[in-house]
Amino acid sequence: MPEIFSSIFMQKALLVGIIISLISGIVSVFVVLRKMSFIGAGISHAAFGGVAIGFFTGINPVITAILYSAATALGIEIVSRKGKVSEDASIGIFFASSMALGIVLISLSREYTVDLYGYLFGNILAITAGEVQLSIAVAVIVIGLILLFLKEIYMITYNEEIARVSGIPVRAVNTMFLIILAVSIVISMKIVGIVLVSALLVIPGATAKLFAKNLNFMIAASCGVAVLSTVAGLLISYELDIAPGGSIVLTSTAIFLTALLLKRKK
Amino acid sequence: MKAVEIKNLTVRLNGRDVLNNLFLSLDEGRFLGVVGPNGGGKTTLLKAILGLIKPSSGEILVFGKSPEEVLKSGRLFGYLPQVSKVAQDFPIRVIDIVMMGRYGRIGMLRWPNEEDRRKALEYLKVMGIEDLKYAPFSELSGGQQQRASIARALAGEPKILMLDEPNTGIDVIGQGDFYHLLKGLQKRFDVTILMASHDIGTIPAYVDEIACLNYTFHYQGDPVGALNEKVLNDLFGKDVDLLHHTDICEKCERLRRA
Repeated sequence: MPEIFSSIFMQKALLVGIIISLISGIVSVFVVLRKMSFIGAGISHAAFGGVAIGFFTGINPVITAILYSAATALGIEIVSRKGKVSEDASIGIFFASSMALGIVLISLSREYTVDLYGYLFGNILAITAGEVQLSIAVAVIVIGLILLFLKEIYMITYNEEIARVSGIPVRAVNTMFLIILAVSIVISMKIVGIVLVSALLVIPGATAKLFAKNLNFMIAASCGVAVLSTVAGLLISYELDIAPGGSIVLTSTAIFLTALLLKRKK
Repeated sequence: MKAVEIKNLTVRLNGRDVLNNLFLSLDEGRFLGVVGPNGGGKTTLLKAILGLIKPSSGEILVFGKSPEEVLKSGRLFGYLPQVSKVAQDFPIRVIDIVMMGRYGRIGMLRWPNEEDRRKALEYLKVMGIEDLKYAPFSELSGGQQQRASIARALAGEPKILMLDEPNTGIDVIGQGDFYHLLKGLQKRFDVTILMASHDIGTIPAYVDEIACLNYTFHYQGDPVGALNEKVLNDLFGKDVDLLHHTDICEKCERLRRA
């Protein structure tokens, strides 16, 4: 076995990387089809506020980030549904104020030495055994819920009004999807960091959409692109000794551009 | 039985009355054309009946029930929104679109079974596009897309078909055939049809009743009587007489042929 696969930290990184890629791969399909990439970016930056609350209170930052991001996602939805503020303005406000809250809390925190850099830019090589278990649990719940409600999510994505007329509880399913999105963002934050996580939610789905003729194909292709980017990106980062988060996102960008060129040639 | 009954309906959107004081009584199994200019409130009326928009005042009954009740059951309506409201590059095959029409019947946490697949294929056949079942929706022509979408709306075995400008994307020559097809569906499935259209020139030859809508109803009843100058002026204003003249002539031509 090559040296790269024999080290424990690399094995853990690859395992978690693949699990999280499957989550972001499937969620990415709907982020792209529903044109939610900006809300994805907004929630991921808001997660910084959640992480800071964790540092400040001494609670596990992943837990506070999940709760805070889910609350932000629902907040954005409620504010824009009430119709007084447009969705992009509401995302922009939540995005910036959560980052600001994070910065204030971090500056107040006595534990200034905490691994802030790891949350901002990812630290997949420092994954703990507990985090491996957590990501497996999240994967089972997120992928399970999406598959259970695939019909409904698909139909709402196709056309919300047709879905409502068919008796589908559109608001409940949308709320569930926003919470799934927030949880997926926080869990993916571990591998590429807050700054880059929205790339994992856009690039796999956008690549898959170039060739997809139906939903199942698009989900499979999106997960494939996500896993390939993560594994190749990790190996490249190991070989070249560069930051894994950046390496993974650049690898996925390269895959997207290649796919785009292939599509153009057709 | 009355399929749709509307009493004194007013709908206010963004602080402006879009529909004012509408009354409507539509018997089960009839084909109603709602015509009028763009922005005249046709889509709003359809959405209010579907329960997607709440009226500011008045009452709507669909087979004796309120639109909210009907919405929960998800089984009475087959709805075709305006073409522009559906993403054209959505990754979906024709057969998947039609199967979607059965989701309301299938229910949550259940999956399409053999019966659902049989029904989906049956409605594709009814619409004459069974050869296209595995084709990507985005690669179909405008007319084929509309046929696929109507197959979807029919696949839920609705009692009422609600069609919002279904002739968009179909060329003028194909439109007569298209309305003829709708008329065939009405008879074959004994379904009530409520169709919004700005095509006042053509549809009177095909529908049972017509309602001319611009903010309020300017005419209701027999389709032939709708084509008088007063109604057209009320609906569209006086500036477009020339266009109406040609439309009427075309319509007379069609009536003569029918």
